[in-house]
Amino acid sequence: MSEPEKDKSTPERPWPVRVVSQKIGAWVGKLGWVWIDGQLAQISRRPGTQVVFLTLRDPSADLSLTVTAHRDVLDAGAPNLAEGARVVLHAKPEFYPARGTLSLRADEIRQVGLGELLARIERLKRLLAAEGLFDPRLKRRPPFLPHRIGLVTGRASAAERDVLTNARRRWPAVEFRVVNVAVQGPAAVPQMIDALAVLDKDPDVDVIILARGGGSVEDLLPFSDEALCRAVSACRTPIISAIGHETDTPLVDFVADLRASTPTDAAKRVVPDLAEEWQRIGQARARLNRAMTGLLDREQHRLDLLRSRPVLARPELMVDGRLADLTALRDRAGRCLAHRLSAGTDELGHTLARLRALSPAATLQRGYAIVQRPDGTVVREPAQVAPGDALRLRLAGGEVPATVTAS
Amino acid sequence: MTDQDISYEAARGELAAVVEKLEAGGTTLEESLALWERGEELAAICQRWLDGARARLDAARRERAAEPG
Repeated sequence: MSEPEKDKSTPERPWPVRVVSQKIGAWVGKLGWVWIDGQLAQISRRPGTQVVFLTLRDPSADLSLTVTAHRDVLDAGAPNLAEGARVVLHAKPEFYPARGTLSLRADEIRQVGLGELLARIERLKRLLAAEGLFDPRLKRRPPFLPHRIGLVTGRASAAERDVLTNARRRWPAVEFRVVNVAVQGPAAVPQMIDALAVLDKDPDVDVIILARGGGSVEDLLPFSDEALCRAVSACRTPIISAIGHETDTPLVDFVADLRASTPTDAAKRVVPDLAEEWQRIGQARARLNRAMTGLLDREQHRLDLLRSRPVLARPELMVDGRLADLTALRDRAGRCLAHRLSAGTDELGHTLARLRALSPAATLQRGYAIVQRPDGTVVREPAQVAPGDALRLRLAGGEVPATVTAS
Repeated sequence: MTDQDISYEAARGELAAVVEKLEAGGTTLEESLALWERGEELAAICQRWLDGARARLDAARRERAAEPG
């Protein structure tokens, strides 16, 4: 246990640079030979030297390493190596004590061919599909009319122009927040991922378009990058992918919430056509109007029908009917009374005739007279009267007063 | 429910019932008069509903006509 004690640096016994440098070199050397997959960001073949310097980048992240290789190594494995190429190399990390820098020394470099790249994309596609990243249930519907549209695309690109012009033509008030990025090459993926993160955080942006015009299969490779696909899938804002032409289907198309065939198509899908919408609203309004007017007319008709029924339209009938009953009853009563009256009159006539038949008038006519006392008693016997009594003699023609003179 | 908040359909339904009852007859004069008065009231409520709806419709149309574009 005395060795580590002795090795430990203290303010009193600090390590010289050469010791630290030597220790770092030993640590770095421990990693040994490894196979590395990366993308070439830069190649510098310096004249007069056999060593080639390469900058190797991670395709999905903003990370790079310096690689040195002998010109022969490069010529043997990848003679036509250009910047942006995908390579697999066998290298060992080395620490250069003279400058305190780290680099990888490669003894074998292989360029990854297009076929291999496409095969990798196919494998990645199966992997992402198995993970459920393409699940239609994960797709969010972009808003019908977005507040603000995020656009991730190349600076001053045809894709940018296509999206902006076509969207504005359809909906003049449309608002964009554009983030320009590299859409090909080693920086593309990290820049796009950053741009997506920025737009996803913006609360005003409610849909994001990732657009790029057409290009070679190699140019579109960043859009099949695993990290980009995962970033798109992780965004909370709906994403529309609009990469290349109709026939291009990079993996990002499968994870995006909506796939537009071209940037122009994305513009059509992201905002409604104002004129078309006005027309639709107009048609809906006209139908609404017709429906309401029709309903009101029908109801008015029903109400009119009810109101025109005699019981409502001519309420006087209610009284008239009863008045007629009343009149009829009065008539009947009148007729009844008249009948009774005439019957009475007839009876009276008959009685009078009978009365007349019994009357003494005819006898008086023949010259007889009736003698009555002043109180009307008829005198039938001479003994009934005394001299001086007043009498009345009833003749046919009238009365004659008389006085009894003797008996 | 007062007459103020009786719906159009309720008023029309009651009106139809009143008319049927009046047409069927068999009611006393006093009852008939009361029924008729109720019928007139209901008819007026229905008409107010229809007039109100039409006025709102016309107002909306005028507003639409006044709109630019």
